[in-house]
Amino acid sequence: MSDISVFAKGLGKNFRSFKKSPGLSGSIKSLFSRSYQDFCAVSDFEVEIKRGELIGLLGPNGAGKTTLMKMFTGIIVPSHGELKVLDRRPWDREKSFRKKIALVMGQKSQLWWDIPALDSFLLLQKYYEIPNSDFVERLDFMSNILQVKDKLEIHVRKLSLGERMKLELMACLLHDPDIIFLDEPTIGLDLIAQENIRKFLLDYHARHKCTMMITSHYMADVQALCERLILIFNGKKCFDGAVSQFEKFLGNDKELSFTFASPQDPTHKLWNEHDARWKNNYTQVDLRLPEAQLRDFTIHALSTFPITEFSTEKMPIERVMKELMHNPKLLTRV
Amino acid sequence: MNTLKKWIETIRISLNQQTTYRLNFFLQVIGPGLVFFFVKYSLWNTIYSGNSETLIAGMNRAQMINYHSWVFVVALLTQGHASFNLSEDIRMGRISTYLIYPFDFWEFHTAGFLAFQILQIFIAIISCAVLYFSGLLILPTLSQLGFALALCFMVSFFWYFLQYLTGLLAFWLDETWIMRVMLQIVTTFLSGAILPLSIFPYWLSHSLKNSPFPIMVYYPVRAFMGELPFSTAPFLTLLPWMILLFFLNVLVWKKGLRLYTAAGM
Repeated sequence: MSDISVFAKGLGKNFRSFKKSPGLSGSIKSLFSRSYQDFCAVSDFEVEIKRGELIGLLGPNGAGKTTLMKMFTGIIVPSHGELKVLDRRPWDREKSFRKKIALVMGQKSQLWWDIPALDSFLLLQKYYEIPNSDFVERLDFMSNILQVKDKLEIHVRKLSLGERMKLELMACLLHDPDIIFLDEPTIGLDLIAQENIRKFLLDYHARHKCTMMITSHYMADVQALCERLILIFNGKKCFDGAVSQFEKFLGNDKELSFTFASPQDPTHKLWNEHDARWKNNYTQVDLRLPEAQLRDFTIHALSTFPITEFSTEKMPIERVMKELMHNPKLLTRV
Repeated sequence: MNTLKKWIETIRISLNQQTTYRLNFFLQVIGPGLVFFFVKYSLWNTIYSGNSETLIAGMNRAQMINYHSWVFVVALLTQGHASFNLSEDIRMGRISTYLIYPFDFWEFHTAGFLAFQILQIFIAIISCAVLYFSGLLILPTLSQLGFALALCFMVSFFWYFLQYLTGLLAFWLDETWIMRVMLQIVTTFLSGAILPLSIFPYWLSHSLKNSPFPIMVYYPVRAFMGELPFSTAPFLTLLPWMILLFFLNVLVWKKGLRLYTAAGM
């Protein structure tokens, strides 16, 4: 067994859909003549993921993240290219392969809605041939950590989104998979629930040393969970490296915010040099300055102005991502 | 042994699911058949009005009502609706989950069909009792019953293969329901569910001889009525059709899966 969990080279997926003009005339016209549009969801994608890595797959809507997940799990067949997941071609869908993978879909429930989650888990126990002692132990452990012990016998449709997501996670992890694909696992959850899920995933990863690939639009997920990040835009890989490297994608600048006890003079030369953005009647300012100047600048500002509060940005990754989405041309720097 | 456990557990879950919404279940299972039966009951009563002993297609009024009572029971025993949502599941990308589990999609679906059949058998038994005590149904001998049930069992699988195939066409077609409705109407007519095949002109009933249609309703009903002597012929006629459908299903699934986009995920 090789040390590589996922290997892709020249991987691509094209979809075809027919175009239809709006309205009745468009409908009638489409009965007789149709024009089709080929759409390239993923193109020439390359990646090598080692066993035990925790990777974030980032990109705007429609970038091709979920298409990649579908190919990695064998749900769809690539149009071209080479792909090996755990040394197998996923779309051959061998049962032994399926026993080693898991897919968590934040936007799609995999549990059966009209029965309690425990019934689904018992079914999955049979599907994955999990020995009874392991099943009981894992169920007990996960339901305790996720605090859903009292929800196991309630019909899934009666549960809140957060509770359901926790149970979805349990369902996917019961068979102790070697590789886990998580497609927006925290979507729609409140902040506490998001944090609980992140904590659980980190803990699970530390214990099991499995490979994890996560897509999310919440940068907090990526910041908290991932060591490595892959950025995908218009179906193409644009960045592949450490999260710390991505944070410096647009340079070594840092964001700094000050809150003042009284309104300040925005024309002061100290502010002008650092891309000042004033808020709340000149009582708050956001600045951008090189990382090397951060310490001296802050000491100077604190001793000069009536500052009541200051902070550096918590998630530089979010700023980088926002700027890239606003201006994808910046990606040509890569 | 493990495979058997998977099947049994899936059947159990399917039974749970199908009976969750009781009213919906009864309406789906018994509703259409019951309405169809009462329409035919009223129609034949009118046709025979005034003279119950008149023979139409060799049957008097009581025999004709008995025939249609058995049509109702045969439909319950053979025409499961387990594949009804298959097309929509494919179109909406809902089969993705089952592509990941180490239990094949056809296995899951077939287990669901078997669960549905178990429920249908219970409903068929109750229906038989009600129709018998209403004086509409004449019970067969035990051997006739065995022969008819064996036929029904085989026909139910034939129906299942056929419905599964039409469901799988959703890999190519956006809507398959009209095709399924057409199939249902043609089958209902040619299988003898509306009119006994003995009423049909010779050329039509003769041309249906090697087709699966008469075996889908007419033969099992006549077997229940004790008018069809035991023979392996209907089984042997249906078998090649089932083998053909089976291989078509395998082929269509393999080809279709390459086109699957898992929409909405």
